[in-house]
Amino acid sequence: MPKDRSVPDAASRDMLDANEAVARVAYRLSDVVAIYPITPASPMGEHADAWAASQRPNLWGSVPEVVEMQSEGGAAGAIHGALQGGALTTSFTASQGLLLMLPDLYKIAGELNAFCLHVAARSIATHALSIFCDHSDVMAARGTGMAILASSSVQEAQDLAAIAHAATLESRVPVLHVFDGFRTSHEITDIAPLPDEALSALVSAEAIAAHRARALDPDRPVLRGTSQNPDAFFQSREAAEPFHAAFSSVLARVMTRFADITGRAYAPFAYAGHPEAERVLIAMGSGADGIQATAEYLAARGERVGALKVRLFRPFDAEALLAALPSTVNAIAVLDRCKEPGAIGEPLLQEVTTTLAGAVMRGARASLPLVIGGRYGLGGKEFTPAMAKAAFDNLAAAAPKHRFTLGIRDDVAGSSLPWDPAFDIEPPDVRRAVFFGLGSDGTVSANKASIRLIGARAGLHAQAYFEYDSRKAGSTTVSHLRFGPEPIRAPWRIAAASFVAIHDAGLIERRDPLALAEPGATVLLNTPLQPAEVFASLPREMQESLIAKGCRLFAVDAQRVAREAGLGGRISPVMQACFFALGDILPREAAMGALREDIAARWRMRGAEVVRRNLAALDAALAALAEVPLPATPAGARSRPPAVPAEAPDFVQRVTRLLLEGRGDDLPVSAFPPDGTWPTGTSRFEKRALAQHIPVWQPDLCVQCNRCTMICPHAAIRAKAYDPAALAFAPEGFRSVPEAFTPELEGLRYTVQVAPEDCTGCGLCIEVCPGRDRRAPERRALMPEPLARHRDAERSAFAFFETLPETPSLPADHRSLGFRTPLFEFSGACAGCGETPYIQALTRLFGDRLVIANATGCSSIYGGNLPTTPFAKDAAGRGPAWSNSLFEDNAEFGLGLTIATDRTARAARDALAACAPRLPPALVEGLLSTPGNEAWIAAQRARVAELVRLLGSDATPEAARLAALAPQLVPRSVWIVGGDGWAYDIGFGGLDHVLAGTRPVKVLVLDTEVYSNTGGQQSKATPLGAAAKFASAGKASGKKDLGLLAMAYGHVYVAQIALQARPGHAIEALIEAGRHPGPALVIAHSPCIAHGYDLRQSPHQQRRAIESGAWPLYRFDPGRVARGEAPLVLDQAELPLDLGDYMQEEARFRLVAAQSPERYAELLRAARAGVRRRHALYRQLAAIHLPAEGGDA
Amino acid sequence: MPDLTTEWLGLSLRSPLVVAASPVSRDAEAAAAAVRAGAGAVILPSLFEEELIAEELALHRLLDAEDDRDAESGSLLPPVVVTAAGPYLAHLRALAARLDVPVIASLNGVTPGGWTDHAAALEAAGAAAIELNLYEVATDPDEPGDAVEARQAEVVRAVVAAVRVPVTVKIGPSYASVPAFLRRIEAAGARGATLFNRFWQPDVDPAALSVARKLDLSDPRELPLRLHGLALAAPWTRLSLGCTGGVWTGEDAVKAILCGAQVVQVASALLQHGPGRVGAILAELRDWLAAHGHASPAEIRGLLARHPGRDPAAWERLNYIRMLGSWQPPPGWR
Repeated sequence: MPKDRSVPDAASRDMLDANEAVARVAYRLSDVVAIYPITPASPMGEHADAWAASQRPNLWGSVPEVVEMQSEGGAAGAIHGALQGGALTTSFTASQGLLLMLPDLYKIAGELNAFCLHVAARSIATHALSIFCDHSDVMAARGTGMAILASSSVQEAQDLAAIAHAATLESRVPVLHVFDGFRTSHEITDIAPLPDEALSALVSAEAIAAHRARALDPDRPVLRGTSQNPDAFFQSREAAEPFHAAFSSVLARVMTRFADITGRAYAPFAYAGHPEAERVLIAMGSGADGIQATAEYLAARGERVGALKVRLFRPFDAEALLAALPSTVNAIAVLDRCKEPGAIGEPLLQEVTTTLAGAVMRGARASLPLVIGGRYGLGGKEFTPAMAKAAFDNLAAAAPKHRFTLGIRDDVAGSSLPWDPAFDIEPPDVRRAVFFGLGSDGTVSANKASIRLIGARAGLHAQAYFEYDSRKAGSTTVSHLRFGPEPIRAPWRIAAASFVAIHDAGLIERRDPLALAEPGATVLLNTPLQPAEVFASLPREMQESLIAKGCRLFAVDAQRVAREAGLGGRISPVMQACFFALGDILPREAAMGALREDIAARWRMRGAEVVRRNLAALDAALAALAEVPLPATPAGARSRPPAVPAEAPDFVQRVTRLLLEGRGDDLPVSAFPPDGTWPTGTSRFEKRALAQHIPVWQPDLCVQCNRCTMICPHAAIRAKAYDPAALAFAPEGFRSVPEAFTPELEGLRYTVQVAPEDCTGCGLCIEVCPGRDRRAPERRALMPEPLARHRDAERSAFAFFETLPETPSLPADHRSLGFRTPLFEFSGACAGCGETPYIQALTRLFGDRLVIANATGCSSIYGGNLPTTPFAKDAAGRGPAWSNSLFEDNAEFGLGLTIATDRTARAARDALAACAPRLPPALVEGLLSTPGNEAWIAAQRARVAELVRLLGSDATPEAARLAALAPQLVPRSVWIVGGDGWAYDIGFGGLDHVLAGTRPVKVLVLDTEVYSNTGGQQSKATPLGAAAKFASAGKASGKKDLGLLAMAYGHVYVAQIALQARPGHAIEALIEAGRHPGPALVIAHSPCIAHGYDLRQSPHQQRRAIESGAWPLYRFDPGRVARGEAPLVLDQAELPLDLGDYMQEEARFRLVAAQSPERYAELLRAARAGVRRRHALYRQLAAIHLPAEGGDA
Repeated sequence: MPDLTTEWLGLSLRSPLVVAASPVSRDAEAAAAAVRAGAGAVILPSLFEEELIAEELALHRLLDAEDDRDAESGSLLPPVVVTAAGPYLAHLRALAARLDVPVIASLNGVTPGGWTDHAAALEAAGAAAIELNLYEVATDPDEPGDAVEARQAEVVRAVVAAVRVPVTVKIGPSYASVPAFLRRIEAAGARGATLFNRFWQPDVDPAALSVARKLDLSDPRELPLRLHGLALAAPWTRLSLGCTGGVWTGEDAVKAILCGAQVVQVASALLQHGPGRVGAILAELRDWLAAHGHASPAEIRGLLARHPGRDPAAWERLNYIRMLGSWQPPPGWR
């Protein structure tokens, strides 16, 4: 990008991320936008949807059609159709989404459709999923025939988006426009926007007319999509070659026109650095900006180095590459942001090598320079100038390393290059600030507002980038803000900041935020402590850093200020005010004035009271901000507590600990299993202590219902009944009462115990607790108490509780299950999550023999996202085995697991038969008996143990084989688990297929009625009347009745359950589903933060859903037919509540009313009618009697 | 045939029967039916100070409470622009456009603050007047009655200052001096007053050990309190007076007008019998006027109010003494 050295004029600059910048261009140049949400491309589609909903027109005055499809495969089909219909069409995707589009992309390119697809590049899932950037998705599309154009910055992404749309229209070659996911797609920086006039001048009206003229039209009928034989296909395929050959020149023409219009000049390849460079790095995407900045820095210091940025990767223009490369170059390293195992080189290396070899062969170059390749940045790995310098240094080495890696320490294959972390090229006039926040505490959005303000008011160029971890409750965010007088060109994280804000005091107990502080930095800490108490309260390591680095420390009690200003827990206005006061952006008075005006403007639409309270918070923040005096030496000897306890196993100590401390980048390759296999049960070693208040048990009021433990989303409250003798070693204060409700447990003691450091403080256990003090109604058997006061005592109590023996086994029901230790604990799910209690229930029912196939989504993130793993093992070392394949294939994946598991079990039975003559007949008979209830399972485990013992003395190969297979004689329970996005939309075809078969697959659908994980897009499970992304005015069509579709097969067990409100029913249905000899589908109502209400109320709200008919509760058991009964049992026969009383409690419905009461009334009427119809249908189905199989009827 | 045209707050109404702030006016169809039946104006349900602030803050909290939780979901709700008063304003706009009688918006609050700014938005959305409802539950033992009244007058002044349309104030009966307070709000710029608010008394649920909410319809027995208040104020005040609470029949309306009311508000009767009930009440009013030879309600307005020289004792303490003295025990008492 040419340097823009003018001081930014706020009126002519927009502060945007690339997703929005690109979407603005694509939207204005399109008639049809067909999309499917996928991180990190989702925001582009969401912008387009929001603009269409607000009737924003495209360049030609009409509002584009934005259509959300059921998968990227579906989106690609719709795109292909729209193109064939003559519409200007666009879409946005990434990663697996791009892969699902590949078949259509071949078609689209093969038919020379003018089309532009914008890709926020992201890793493809291999050994693990990653939502972060690399180019493996883009490179997988390199054979489609699409042109591939890569942008390296937000400005480029906007500009090349426009160029791509213009070029595809003129060339008829469709274009994949690529920019790096998160690093570019989510980086906010100031850019020169593209006004409508510029776009109008850029795109060719003739080319558009020609595109439209190629539409399928019965007035001018043609036929496309023929099937061709060997006599025709090859030639026909080659006939398109001239179009691909001409693309580069068409692109150059459009780029020249663009430069004439905007003053910003682009070329397919851009060189920067020494004009007579000897060593050159070649790369594509944001990394190329980093190496160019490094090359310029080094060249300015006399090094003959340069960097070539590849913008056009397909069609690869060899001549343009050679022309862009200085003739003096004698060593080249090509950096690929992907890995192609087994290839002679990654794709970009191959192209460059072939180009140079060709040039030598043709005589265009005298000799072949040294060409080596390296990989960097996979899965979003940081790529810095120091790493670029290491690559330059490698080229100068006597024996340069070939096929090297950058950014990791590869102690397995030895591929990595070392780098000097101290190497820094940033200009001295760039100011850097980092902010450590808690997910959804407002830090990120306040920082977005801050840099807009800085850009607009301080006349500075600015950049913001945000890091997140992957937990949904208590996650850490790190905001990186740069600002300065020159455009910021730094696509890497801040390593040394002059301002470090710590918005969450708990963070300093877990990691070292001062690692990012430069000497003399200003540090701002949000803490409830008085300034005089702050220093002594800090871990010694932090005290030492503050003193050694000569920092200034400021403190503010943001929680108190926000609370007193009437903003509840919203601390971001307080912290933002402190940043503007301390951040040295503008003179303090001017900074505060600007911030005041911004608050008034930003919150005006929210109402006068909101503005008033935010302004009050600003004033109070400044009054509460105080400098903390730093002594000359550290005080106190308290070290930062270890991230994991000493008793944690070796792997957790070696690997998990570093991941938890934010030092995962330091882990070498050898630390990782080569195939993505990971130990379970590691979440218990991370003590996050997120709750402000925890439930403390009041035994005198407890009615021993176990509802608390069944509803806890994080398995952080447990119940046990145990022998009183076990209390001999109980710590002081450990509470118990006689077990009083179960005859089988008579004489035992009963305890409810919280895990204080694992509780998220959601309050659900307290909400469902029925134990009340009749003399003091506000006192319940679970009382919220401050964590700080009870942490130590409850921690000891929980540690002791875990040593208590398991409660004697009882037949499974919703109360007795509460006694069983869940084998899913302390996950990263949201506080109050409505999904996780179902998973816990599964593990309590089937945990020691449970295999889970998990669709991608929330449940795969809290279920399997590093650093810790919540699926756990029992005392015998058994527990759920879990795997996530993809989003779209989960039913099929689970079917495969079921088939394999069945085969292994059959092999075990065959092996048993082979050895049977040598074994006690009763044992063999027992081992081969028909599987039954849990008592049978326990007996079978005992029989297997006995079998293995007997086989120990048998040295025959048959015995060895049987001994290895013997554990498989205990039946496995394979469950296919996923969300509604999977089951109703992208995975429905597969789900339908596996249900249609006879294999006994068990499916649990966690139905939140929206795409929760990717940010609230509507799915076909979204109910009529709810606002969601892509249905912002309220969904006008009804919720798909997945259960009814499955019932239609007749042989599938189907249930709809709601555990928070009807635990008994839910558990019964899960047991019946597990027992059903055929396929089973259980659809679970899952309250979610996306519904927009306090999830502490979810048991009540779920009851409203049931009683209003919004969530019918039923069980359809094909087994009932044989007993002469109707297969469907409607478990909520009457609907005593009006649907409106349910809907008005959730923001997703109220948002519709808030926009248009009339539309809400209309949708409510339709929703009521829908509920009545469905209820009437179910009532009739519940009354029908079907002839039993083989019967005479 | 008597002419029911009525002047109120400077507005010309086709009849003195006004649909009170109630569920009737929340329902556009019901409000339209009441107007078809002859209602002279419609007052929308109150936009409550607490509700507005709570809704503003709830929206502020809910709309982006979950934003930037993790890398994947930047937000969870669609980015729509909504305001706390938006649905109310939309309803007001729609009703003002649809009905050919004045539509009056109602604000309910007792503390000065940013919420009074909403009055201007109500005016812009088509409100012909603002009814300010001073529903107060005094709970602070340190705030004396005069301070409560001064605060309320301040609220009246703020709302009057925010709009050009007339403001009428709905008050409760629990002032040390209702006439003095009426004078106070008149000085604060109010053009009218409506007597009296009904006090919603919460009940107690012994089984649940909780406070229970219940809403009873008004009762004709509540009317005399209003008549008394009107009669004391009508002779001297320049405020347009309205009567609300206990009006079920045309005869009730006659009584209120005789005591000085320019308009009578109805709600419970319509909730019980449907919005068309307006027609029956008006017919009864019209018949009464005709039967007694009156051409319009104006002719009888205030006839029975407390005019010096027209037996003022009927509305004063002397009447109380006479009433007590006239009590006769029921048969079998004692």
